Amino acid sequence: MSPTPAKPGGTRIPSRRTVLRGAFTAAVVTGTAGALFPLLDRDPAATARPAPAPGPGSGSRATAEEFAEMYRGREIRGTATVVPAGAPADDRVAVAAEPVTEIRIDGRPLHVMRRADGTYLSDVRHYESYPTLLETARAAVDELGSARLAPPAAHHM
Amino acid sequence: MYTRKNQRDLTRTEKRRLIDAILKLKRSGRYDDFVVMHREYYVMDTERRPRPAHMTSSFFPWHRQYLLEFEKALQRVDAGVSVPYWDWTQDNRPTSSLWAEDFLGGNGRPGDRRVTTGPFAYAAGNWSVGRGVTDEHYLTRNFGRPGSDPVSLPTKNDLARALKDPVYDTAPWNSVCTEGFRNRVEGWGIRGVRTVGLHNRVHQWVGGPMAGAASPEDPVFWLHHSFIDLLWDRWRKAHPKSAYRPGRKPAQPGPDRDYVFGLDDAMPPWRVTPRKLLDHSKIYRYA
Repeated sequence: MSPTPAKPGGTRIPSRRTVLRGAFTAAVVTGTAGALFPLLDRDPAATARPAPAPGPGSGSRATAEEFAEMYRGREIRGTATVVPAGAPADDRVAVAAEPVTEIRIDGRPLHVMRRADGTYLSDVRHYESYPTLLETARAAVDELGSARLAPPAAHHM
Repeated sequence: MYTRKNQRDLTRTEKRRLIDAILKLKRSGRYDDFVVMHREYYVMDTERRPRPAHMTSSFFPWHRQYLLEFEKALQRVDAGVSVPYWDWTQDNRPTSSLWAEDFLGGNGRPGDRRVTTGPFAYAAGNWSVGRGVTDEHYLTRNFGRPGSDPVSLPTKNDLARALKDPVYDTAPWNSVCTEGFRNRVEGWGIRGVRTVGLHNRVHQWVGGPMAGAASPEDPVFWLHHSFIDLLWDRWRKAHPKSAYRPGRKPAQPGPDRDYVFGLDDAMPPWRVTPRKLLDHSKIYRYA
């Protein structure tokens, strides 16, 4: 069913744990997107919040979704950073608010795309989209089953 | 002129010749070129570049030409074959002859979801996948996606509803159009309006590569899209006064119109217009 409403964290598997933030920060630093933002000091149980749907740029505030958790035995991490609009007035609104996104499953990058309604889809689940990166990552794990993502080099066709 | 049959009506010999031609194409490397091409032209409706294949009005004509190219490649191997269609409203069970040992093989096994029957089973030595999405080289399937978020195949009623829409497509010509035959069949889920449907839903139901960015890695892709192509014919027959949309490019195309292909806009990579593809009666027909 798509798009599904965001489920509160931890409802799917009881054994899920939030990965230590220190390790998470290191992953962001080594990530390819390189879009760093100050990690907000918030309750670790709040694993994700959706990036805003495309709309008029809200100034210079970098809004983001971030998570790091174990899901069905796979380590999933993700960040969405909304790049401040700063574009010409005649620029397309939907594109001006396009976030920089990154998802990794067991350390390997998952290619993520975005639809015009602001929902996300991935290379692994390519015909259904989700309001948050976290749901997108979990859906990709479900679709992968026991398979691993291809190593980064093979991602660039 | 040749005929595309319902896959359930193929003789044993027709099935064998089709499979042999596909395997030969695979061995030559040409098959994988088609996989890469589909990936390349699957452009999102948030990207600032032309999107001919998905989330767009030219979903039908682009895939029509894509199938024709694939069929041409098959026919260079065996001039007597064509791409049959899979009517998933009719053959909607894992026990359908489509998935038998002598045709496409069956569902993936429990655990790693590996397809172990039929000509595309990895162990048979003729079929490997993995054009950039996963690490695995064996074909996988996961019929119905059992578990927390299962998928069923679309029904005859689902299809009838889409075919009833008299408008081909509407602005903004993307994945969030709530009206129009094109997006109803393409099947994008739209929050508060409808869930994933028809074309997209079938990709999900099969699972494995079919659910992902390298969907043509599972040969059922072609049979699925042959049926999608037939649906375009059925819709045109049901609405003879309805035209392909969008039409001529306005003098000042708005942002919605920039990256979509109107009736006379040449689609990459073949430089063929949707208009040229409306009538295929001189090339093939459906039986």
